[in-house]
Amino acid sequence: MQRAAHTAVCGWSNVVAPAMIRRCLKCRVPLQFSSRAYSVVPTPRDSEEKDMLDRILRVDHAGEYGANRIYAGQMAVLGRSRTGPLIQQMWDQEKKHLQKFNEILAENRVRPTALLPIWNVAGFVLGASTALLGKEGAMACTVAVEESISEHYNSQIRALMEKDPERYTELLQVIKEFRDEEMEHHDTGLEHDAETVPGYWLLKNAIQLGCRAAIYVSERV
Amino acid sequence: MAALLRGVRAGRALRGLSSGKTGPDRLCGAVVAAPTATTPQCSSLSRGFHRAAPRLQDDFKSDKPPPSSSSTTFHEHYQAHSAEQDNTATASHEGAAAEQASRPNTSYQDQSGEQGEEYETEEQLQARILTAALEFVPLHGWSMEAIASGAETLGLSSASTGMFNNGAGDLVLHFITQCNSQLTEILAEQHKQVQLGQAEPKATADFLRDAVETRLRMYIPYIESWPQAMSILLLPHNIPDSLKHLSTLVDDIWYYAGDRSTDMNWYTKRAALTGIYNTTELVMLQDSSPDFEDTWNFLDNRIQDVVNMASTAKQVQSTGEAVVQGLMGAAFTLKNLTGLNQRR
Repeated sequence: MQRAAHTAVCGWSNVVAPAMIRRCLKCRVPLQFSSRAYSVVPTPRDSEEKDMLDRILRVDHAGEYGANRIYAGQMAVLGRSRTGPLIQQMWDQEKKHLQKFNEILAENRVRPTALLPIWNVAGFVLGASTALLGKEGAMACTVAVEESISEHYNSQIRALMEKDPERYTELLQVIKEFRDEEMEHHDTGLEHDAETVPGYWLLKNAIQLGCRAAIYVSERV
Repeated sequence: MAALLRGVRAGRALRGLSSGKTGPDRLCGAVVAAPTATTPQCSSLSRGFHRAAPRLQDDFKSDKPPPSSSSTTFHEHYQAHSAEQDNTATASHEGAAAEQASRPNTSYQDQSGEQGEEYETEEQLQARILTAALEFVPLHGWSMEAIASGAETLGLSSASTGMFNNGAGDLVLHFITQCNSQLTEILAEQHKQVQLGQAEPKATADFLRDAVETRLRMYIPYIESWPQAMSILLLPHNIPDSLKHLSTLVDDIWYYAGDRSTDMNWYTKRAALTGIYNTTELVMLQDSSPDFEDTWNFLDNRIQDVVNMASTAKQVQSTGEAVVQGLMGAAFTLKNLTGLNQRR
């Protein structure tokens, strides 16, 4: 039903006067030829909406990229221990998320954040250093990061719902699905004795502060 | 109401399309008539819109006194409109349009032609003036004189240049925007051809070369005065705009070349193409070979450089990985030999 509506809109847009198409080309949005009729993100109606969607997608992409690198760091240290398979499993899910966001970014011509190399290194270092504290340290890091990310996804969901839940249905679905999986990781971390690491409260808050700063910066740069 | 606005917008778009000399009033009248609701409230509201519509039109029309006869006749028409308001709106609209069309209209710009003119926004008018002004650039350079001459060809007074705060900068930026949209249309068309299977996809290097060449060829008619245009673009207040246009141009070219990267490659590719484009533009300014052959050769060489650099970088990376693996292997062998690997 959504698909029919979308193709109907695409059909209408081909009939519209060239002036509007020119304005849309100025909007720099793949108006006439997305290679699939169905896409997760609706075509932005004006540059304001494009900016908002760009920001959301950019920071989500950066977040998944960072989470990927954190798990890579943890695996580098704990890969051969008992928790190796567990971390590997969580890492695989993050890889899936990153791939999805890569697709969405490419389709919608969103600029990725310029700070990716920094998140590359910082994520790996964070994962590796918390893993050096042992399995509990790695789990505590996971708990902190996943809690941040879930909070962040929730605020995005709220923002999109406030704007127009109908229009962003597919995007909301994707974000909700990812948020649920991140919460699963968070719960897994708690189950595996995250809270027993010495200095848990300090570690958790420090990591969450870092995540919040990273999110703030990635939205803008 | 939404239907009415859509009709108005469609009328505006059609107005922009028409050459402007074929009595668009009738056209607009007919277009507006079609989706107009039959309720009198709607028609009075739309009449209110028309009245409130760009009063700025009057600013540069003020020195062109409208023929008094036609203004009074317009007033008469307006009275007739209010009287007819109770009748079906469509009939009155069409009646008005027919009346206006039948009246001898020497210029569609004067106030009695308000029915047609008001569908155009200020931006569209500015765009039309600047497009007309481009003809005079070889003569007057990128300057207010060119804009004034352009305004005059459209039948407006040269005082309409007062609309352009940025003067020659507006003209140059408009030209650049126009070239960019032309290029995007060409690339989009090619892309569609490839998707329909009617054309072969080009190799990246060839695609980039063709795209940059097409884009730079648009400067050829203005090549004499292009140094002046470039210096205008380098003025501090024009730099943000010109950088924005440059970055959208490069992004578009890469998008249609098939770049879908979402990591640092996004930035390095665009930076490389920006460098290529700017240097080729500068070479073009000083090129005196027939049909700018030297410029296209230069462009070719630069693109080859970038392609070579990219493949070299890949080679370095894979060599580095192989070396690291070799070293790890050697270290492991050493550990075995010295017996450090045995667990006791």
